[in-house]
Amino acid sequence: MGVTTELIAAAAQDPAAYGEKAGRAIALGVGAGGGAAGAGAGIGMLFGKVIESVTRQPEMRDEIASIQWLGFALTEACFFYGLVGGLIAFFL
Amino acid sequence: MSTRRKIAFSILGVYILGMILIVAVFGATRNDNESFSPQNEFKLDPWLALPGPMDLNKGVLYLFIATALTLGLMLWISKKMVGRPNRVQTAVEWAYTGMRDKVVRDNMSDAMAKKWFPLVFTLFVFIWISNLIGYLPLPVNTEHKVSIFGTEVPAFQIYAATANVSVPLVLALIVFFAFNIEGVRAKGFWGYTKSLIPPGLKGPILIMIFPLELLSNFLRLISLTVRLFANILAGHMLIQFMSGGLAVLLGLEILAWFTLPAGVAIFIFEATLVAGLQAFIFAILTCIYLGSAVSESH
Repeated sequence: MGVTTELIAAAAQDPAAYGEKAGRAIALGVGAGGGAAGAGAGIGMLFGKVIESVTRQPEMRDEIASIQWLGFALTEACFFYGLVGGLIAFFL
Repeated sequence: MSTRRKIAFSILGVYILGMILIVAVFGATRNDNESFSPQNEFKLDPWLALPGPMDLNKGVLYLFIATALTLGLMLWISKKMVGRPNRVQTAVEWAYTGMRDKVVRDNMSDAMAKKWFPLVFTLFVFIWISNLIGYLPLPVNTEHKVSIFGTEVPAFQIYAATANVSVPLVLALIVFFAFNIEGVRAKGFWGYTKSLIPPGLKGPILIMIFPLELLSNFLRLISLTVRLFANILAGHMLIQFMSGGLAVLLGLEILAWFTLPAGVAIFIFEATLVAGLQAFIFAILTCIYLGSAVSESH
């Protein structure tokens, strides 16, 4: 609690600088958090579907595996879009 | 008690002991370090000013190393081809035939595959090698120098040429021009423009659809670039932060003890999976774009 009251007191002294800091922190949080949420849902769905299709047709396993990694990389890239956007907002 | 359980308990004990020791020695107060700027890991200091925009810096050095390794490895393997291959030759042959049969020939006709396979395989090997040497610490950090026996030596650092947006952009531009020119050559300019539209659409809806399809053609360039660049950049930043950067930034020593296992895990994940996977994705998307540019239906 002490830290919070100190922060509020400091922010009241210099609202502009603390507003900028808060905006950067929010950008990083939203970018990384939102990106991770979306990509996590996508990757989970992808692997769930892969398990489903392999249990249904085990002889297709090799073909499914190559498409699976393509889908994994394409989905995972979306997390990094959000993260890099957040990092750029935070540091630059 | 089994041996495995003993090992697990001793690792846990060492971990907790280290935690207590660090808190006892350094305390657990936070004092922010304003002078440390982690984004400078990706800043390119010019080492040697050449005329024009051709300065020599660490990105260029990494590109030269990657080019030399790609050429050297492939030429060495092809010179030393033997009937009973050793491990390296087996691995390279496996990658070569895999790329040729599973990736290139599945997406385009045989005549086109013969023409474009060299580009695709070169892209694959070059991106993979330049991602991989990005995880080797090399003495390239000219911002923080270390003094050894009176001489200033650059500190060790990990950096990848593909973590700079310009290298993936150039590679993606090559691919972009390749598939557009190949499409125009196969169908003619108007034919190629028409083939961007999904089949079966007529009438006024084309005014809405056509700009979107044209835009998505250009977005391929951006998505190819940003996928590779963002993956490698974010991987390097995560490794840097997790293996100590965050603790230095906040001046909180105990934090490094907590984030170090995550740093090691991310390093292994990036070096084994992401480096190869991104190279593979770049190559397979090149094939898909080339194939769809010349195929009859969209």
